[in-house]
Amino acid sequence: MKIKLFKKGDLFVIAAVIAAALAFYFIGRGGSTKPVAEISVDGVTVQTVDLSSVTGRVEITPNDEYNILIVAENGTIRFEHSDCEDKLCVSSGTLSESGDIAVCLPAKTVISVTGSELDAVVY
Amino acid sequence: MRKTTAVIAALAVAVLAIIIAFDAFRSKPLESSFFSMNTLVTAEVEGGEAENCLAEIKSTLENLDYNILSRTAKGSAVYKLNQSGEALLDKQTAEYFSALADISRQSGGAFDFTLGAVSDLWDFGGTPSMPDEAELARALSHSGFEKISIGDSKISLNDKKAVIDFGASGKGIALDSIKACLEANETKRAVVSVGGSVLLYGEGEFAVGIRNPRGGSGSSIATLGITEGCVSTSGSYEQYFEQNGKRYHHIIDPETGYPVDNGLISVTVISESGLLSDALSTACFVLGIEEGSRLAEHYGAKVIFITEDNLIYTEDAVRDIITVTDKNYKFGG
Repeated sequence: MKIKLFKKGDLFVIAAVIAAALAFYFIGRGGSTKPVAEISVDGVTVQTVDLSSVTGRVEITPNDEYNILIVAENGTIRFEHSDCEDKLCVSSGTLSESGDIAVCLPAKTVISVTGSELDAVVY
Repeated sequence: MRKTTAVIAALAVAVLAIIIAFDAFRSKPLESSFFSMNTLVTAEVEGGEAENCLAEIKSTLENLDYNILSRTAKGSAVYKLNQSGEALLDKQTAEYFSALADISRQSGGAFDFTLGAVSDLWDFGGTPSMPDEAELARALSHSGFEKISIGDSKISLNDKKAVIDFGASGKGIALDSIKACLEANETKRAVVSVGGSVLLYGEGEFAVGIRNPRGGSGSSIATLGITEGCVSTSGSYEQYFEQNGKRYHHIIDPETGYPVDNGLISVTVISESGLLSDALSTACFVLGIEEGSRLAEHYGAKVIFITEDNLIYTEDAVRDIITVTDKNYKFGG
């Protein structure tokens, strides 16, 4: 005699639950790859910018104690001006991809684009 | 609903709840970023006493800077050494300094932590400019590993005009000190970057990008798949200035006092030791591909050279763990 373990309806319920579980799992793990720029001063995040939604020119002055101008424009972000001596932050250029980072050491200000699949970038 | 269908549905819902709960309570890395030793430090620590570990990392780096490596903090060993010609060292610091002196000797002076007076004339990190030739020659005459003596508990200058600067190895020493914090706090897995020199600790494999030497913003040109260890890069793109159409970068050849000009733009070293990876990346940059490879091999380290014409030179063992992700770069030789 042939024993039927599951009926069609049972399989449908199981498949639906597994699909829901997988969806929760991956959404919970932050599967989104949208580039988001985080601006921090002395280790504290002061602003985040969703680069995919930036079209026009957005000016940001994140640091009260240091004259710095950050500009987000057409999906990119950069240090446009800093009063620091070496201007290494300005020469870092434009950031747009996950993992990109630019630092103004004297002003302890960092722009980093989140969402990198790498554990670290060595430089 | 039939009874079996209801039972199966209930079981499936239970499984779903377990998966969600497992994901929520799964150990997640604790992250921190802060400035120390005049650079950016980022740390991701997972397992063990993670919160305590991050606090210890921060205080360890502050102590390392203010008590040992800083050239400007009045209580530091390096400050005292430069001012009075000698400084007392604890056992661990004496070991670090002896190891660096060994790299200096083995590299024939290509790695040189007595170049402080020369670096000061170039003033990278401040307002860099081309130094006066005579001044540069004078500063250079007071450098070289024979200008210092290191004992078990003391370091002294044989030439009082020599200026000690551990700028090319401080980040590596920091990584080794951080490793001790991770071990003490039973950390499961951690990734710590001190100004771009990286410590990979614990379980599993890590994906580490090598910064695009021409990118400027941090995008990488290749990915290394490695287990535990330290990775450091010296690049001519980090600090530089241009004068009369020529670019001058911050990696100084201890033999000439001028920036190294040998066709390299980036050298990455992988080693179990942070001190080795950091100091060797500078030494190998100065020495060039052939001699640099020999030096790295002597210390059991792996080295990746990138040239100005976008060629990557490395040993076969590294080719197995590196993936070039930027089509503008390819293997040479």
